[in-house]
Amino acid sequence: MQEAIGLLDILLLIMIRGLSTTLALTLISLLFGFLIGTGLALMRVYGPIELQWVSIGYEKIFRGIPLLVLLFIFGAALLGLFTWAGSLTNAVFVAAVFALALRSAAYQSELFRGSIMSIDPGQMMAAQSVGMNQYQATWHIILPQALRLSLPGWTNEYAVVIKDSSLASAIGVAELIYQAQAFTLDYPALFLGIILVIAIIYFAFTYPVTKYVGESMTTKLRELGLGGGK
Amino acid sequence: MMTKVIEVKDVWKAYDTLEVLKGISFDVFEGEVKVVFGPSGSGKSTLLRVINMLTPPDKGEVLLRGQSLMDPQADLTKLRAHIGFVFQNFNLFAHLKAIDNVSIGPHLVLGKTKEEAHDIAFKALEKVRMNDWGHHYPAQLSGGQQQRIGIARSLAMNPDVILFDEPTSALDPELIGEVLQVMLDIAKEGTTMIVVTHELGFARAVADEMIFMDHGVIVETGTPQHFFQNPKSERAIDFLHKLEVLYGQAETDIES
Amino acid sequence: MRPTSPNQLIGMLQINRIVEYLPDLWNGLSMTMGLYLFALFLGLGLGIVLAIGRHYGGPIVSRISTAYIEFMRGTPLLAQILAITTLPLALNLDTSWRIILQDIFGTPRITVDITILLCAITLGLNSGAYQAEYFRGSMASISGGQTLAAKSIGMTKRQEIRHIALPQSLRRAIPAWSNEAVYLPKYTTVAYFVGVPDLFSAAKLAAGRTFQSLTVYSLVAVIFLVLITAISWILSRIYNRVKIPGI
Ligand SMILES: Nc1ncnc2c1ncn2[C@@H]1O[C@H](COP(=O)(O)OP(=O)(O)O)[C@@H](O)[C@H]1O
Ligand SMILES: [Mg+2]
Repeated sequence: MQEAIGLLDILLLIMIRGLSTTLALTLISLLFGFLIGTGLALMRVYGPIELQWVSIGYEKIFRGIPLLVLLFIFGAALLGLFTWAGSLTNAVFVAAVFALALRSAAYQSELFRGSIMSIDPGQMMAAQSVGMNQYQATWHIILPQALRLSLPGWTNEYAVVIKDSSLASAIGVAELIYQAQAFTLDYPALFLGIILVIAIIYFAFTYPVTKYVGESMTTKLRELGLGGGK
Repeated sequence: MMTKVIEVKDVWKAYDTLEVLKGISFDVFEGEVKVVFGPSGSGKSTLLRVINMLTPPDKGEVLLRGQSLMDPQADLTKLRAHIGFVFQNFNLFAHLKAIDNVSIGPHLVLGKTKEEAHDIAFKALEKVRMNDWGHHYPAQLSGGQQQRIGIARSLAMNPDVILFDEPTSALDPELIGEVLQVMLDIAKEGTTMIVVTHELGFARAVADEMIFMDHGVIVETGTPQHFFQNPKSERAIDFLHKLEVLYGQAETDIES
Repeated sequence: MRPTSPNQLIGMLQINRIVEYLPDLWNGLSMTMGLYLFALFLGLGLGIVLAIGRHYGGPIVSRISTAYIEFMRGTPLLAQILAITTLPLALNLDTSWRIILQDIFGTPRITVDITILLCAITLGLNSGAYQAEYFRGSMASISGGQTLAAKSIGMTKRQEIRHIALPQSLRRAIPAWSNEAVYLPKYTTVAYFVGVPDLFSAAKLAAGRTFQSLTVYSLVAVIFLVLITAISWILSRIYNRVKIPGI
């Protein structure tokens, strides 16, 4: 009986401390990834050839390097860059955001570019036929449609980032798995149970989003005649 | 006394509340060519799919050479090999070259060796005049050529009867002739056929009996002469008139 | 310690010291490749089975396949590897099993123990779930008309799957499946967390020993970039060879 209560306490601690870190890491990284990724996509589609090459090179590099390597480049080799964050805890967190966001930007750029390219060229012609210039047509007609088309893909990217944020435990970010290891690594049976609970928590944060949000968005987009998703 | 190849006995079929077939019966004899026609949605495709049990009926029975296809003991897969089917959209196997589309049935289903199946396939391709095209993939062929491969695929199984579901209606007009010609050839060789088509010239040339369907029932049957000279029912007269407006009168035979 | 000239930068990176740890990285790379190939092919077999189960299976088989796929895709690979490699300890099983393999020079030095094996299996179990979805997508895209045609010439369901559906859907899946083949090498680095001596672990040791972490990790990044470019290139060659017009 006492042991059961102890286990619950530990779980609760892991939850409270770890889950908030995991969610903060995920959402901040996704946000910066979105800003950089959108910029890269626009450079790639509308930019001059030099910027297109920059964007292509960026995507290739950040999609090719394992996240763990990026985490150690920012969170170990270049940790000195983040001393402004104050404590070591904050510095590794910022480093993890850099690694996750820069990588996510590469994937989000590809996603957004795909959406832009899939907009019917007739939309551009129609916009110009009512007197918009190319810039207006892009800003008011093409990009809003492309953003909506990208929604299902973004739910996927969210799932990828939240799951992969677990790797940040390696550089000392105290997210869910780090907390679990800190408390229970020396008790294999306990550790196994807690890891399973944590896996279920991740599942609760990914599956409903990709399944229901992703699917309902896809259906809604179809209804709007924006044949998004597959 | 001619043998019955197919007997359709009081067949009913509904999709939910939509009654598509409402008591269809007819017999098909050895060597006979039956042409089924009627408005879109009248249940013609459903009837053909019921005959080879791609869609089992709700009620009624289909017999192949006296053997019921509804018999729970019957090996439907085996029996189906005796009934050829030619589809409106060809439905060729996209990953197989023309010759392999034709030989896969004899090899896998009839248990022929690869060489035997290849020979059978080659002969079938000759019949549809596609023997020079055996090494092309479906995507590399025109619609008319694809449909002829579809016919060869059925022929190679040496079936008791071949069902055609509007075999020319997905084709560009200039490609229809080559397919109809092949169908005429095999009809004249004595192949038993049930053909859903609105090509009245073809019907006039080879149909032993025409069946006019509307709203899931057989409204009128008769020889081509009967339908072209004095059809009885209002609906048949009306429909034939519409076809004539569309396609022109079926005065000229298309025999070579 | 801010670099002011290219020469100083090169001096700081100490590229000349790479030779010191290159052999270690090489050994790590062979472990990484071993994990990768094992997991890729285990995942391939499992993925095809799961996809067939989900697409063609009855209600029960299809639900089981779906549940497996969704759970594996919905949880972090790291959690899966930590859980499965802890199993023998948690269950008090014998963990002394190991085999020793020769490296390419014939020296016996590559040890495969229970953790490495479980790690490779988990990577395969995980990859299988992702691969299944690529195959299922391509299975769903085969036209229903071909299924009817296969039935109409008397093929059994099994023959139809084996001779009509699979040859087309497997070919069609290659471009999307290549994504998984390219993601997987990067995810093998998770093996580092359970102490498997892969390329990343070797790099981390070298970084600690030489205090040249930026150089070491950059070098590893370059190795992965080259590896992944090579894999994509090979796969596109394969696809072009088996490609059929119209599929
Ligand atoms: N699988 C199905 N599910 C529901 N309704 C169907 C199905 N197949 C056919 N129908 C309906 O049955 C009717 C007859 O269809 P069909 O046999 O294809 O007619 P025809 O070939 O004469 O044009 C149509 O109203 C069609 O919508
Ligand atoms: Mg029809």
